[in-house]
Amino acid sequence: MYLNTNKDKKIGMKNKLLGKLMPKWKKVEFEEIEYEPKSIKEILIEMKNISELMVDLAYSALLFNNKELAEEVKYLEVRMDTLNYDIRLIALLAARTKEDAEELTGILQVAEAAETISNAAADITKLLSVRLTHPILPGLIKKSDETIKKLTIKEGSVAHNKTIKDLRIASETGVRVLTIRRKDRWIYAPKKDELLKAGDILIGIGPEEGLARLNKLFEGKIKVL
Amino acid sequence: MSEEEAEKMLLELKEKAELMVDLAYSSLIYDNREIAEEVYELEDYVDKINDELQKLAIEDTRKGELDVNEVLAIIQLGISSEVIADAAREIADVQLRDVKLHPILKESLMESNEILLKVKITPKSILKDKKIGEIRLASETGMWIIAIKRGNKWIYDPTKNITLRENDILFAKGDKEGKDHFIALAEGREKKI
Repeated sequence: MYLNTNKDKKIGMKNKLLGKLMPKWKKVEFEEIEYEPKSIKEILIEMKNISELMVDLAYSALLFNNKELAEEVKYLEVRMDTLNYDIRLIALLAARTKEDAEELTGILQVAEAAETISNAAADITKLLSVRLTHPILPGLIKKSDETIKKLTIKEGSVAHNKTIKDLRIASETGVRVLTIRRKDRWIYAPKKDELLKAGDILIGIGPEEGLARLNKLFEGKIKVL
Repeated sequence: MSEEEAEKMLLELKEKAELMVDLAYSSLIYDNREIAEEVYELEDYVDKINDELQKLAIEDTRKGELDVNEVLAIIQLGISSEVIADAAREIADVQLRDVKLHPILKESLMESNEILLKVKITPKSILKDKKIGEIRLASETGMWIIAIKRGNKWIYDPTKNITLRENDILFAKGDKEGKDHFIALAEGREKKI
């Protein structure tokens, strides 16, 4: 499923001004929210997906003391805010009768709950800045032999223009791709025939060894898994 | 409170909160009040554990057994689970209100990545008379059982030792890709896990 974040052009200038001063997720926060016609269903699906992904990522970030994952959580939180705004707007526009309004209220309540869950996830990542004497709560992730990692496909990697299936990622490394971020959009639970591109940021979960191998492929250090 | 105890309580909070979210979504998908009511009950339970955890954590700091930062982290993690549990209750609340559910709600929930399903174990199913732990259902199909309806009884968050029976109605959660396989196993159309 593809969904674009604000494709608005006005923000270009603003982003240039904000430029290198702040992380990317923060820049998104400064974008003006513009009404973008999308269906309630599409938005609600994405909100549910994001809230679940955020909880997984937040605990992983904490467990592996991984700042990159924490940053991804913040990024998703901003996306979530936009979606929650959009869904309210569309719901209000859609209600014509009292019955409509009553039914739509249920949808908004679920959307709000998804947003609440994502906020709770974001709060968990704040704990990364707390200095702890030792890693906290290793038991919080059930499969302890699995780890989670953010991987970037570099220019020149053989992975460019190949699908997940072509590369035999699952069978060769045991890694499952949770999500792909391509510029400003996310592909959740990508299909096996999803075409990978240089610059894609993947979040993979799997054995450490497999992730390391996959990273080498993405960095162009090896040509085959 | 030892660290192990704290970890155990936090894990319990995390798992119950996540179970609640799954159950709450299921209650909407299958228009089921009983499941929604269970979410409410679990909410009380989560509140209690969280209160207990906070008390113990603070007492231990006073005694100097736990480091302040550590206690802060423990309390914050507990609160996060509690917030998630509250959100689940809000979702279940939509089911318990006397308003017809919007069809889009159900459709959206069924089409997301992590799906929820309901299936009945038929007499031909190989899942019949097997323990959940023994058949390694979760690792083989990517779907795990969040609740079982057996006659009028409910078993929420079943442990590995629960034996599945004919006519059990399973509510399960997991990856889209494991869905068909799981249903085929329960309905007896597929014999290999």
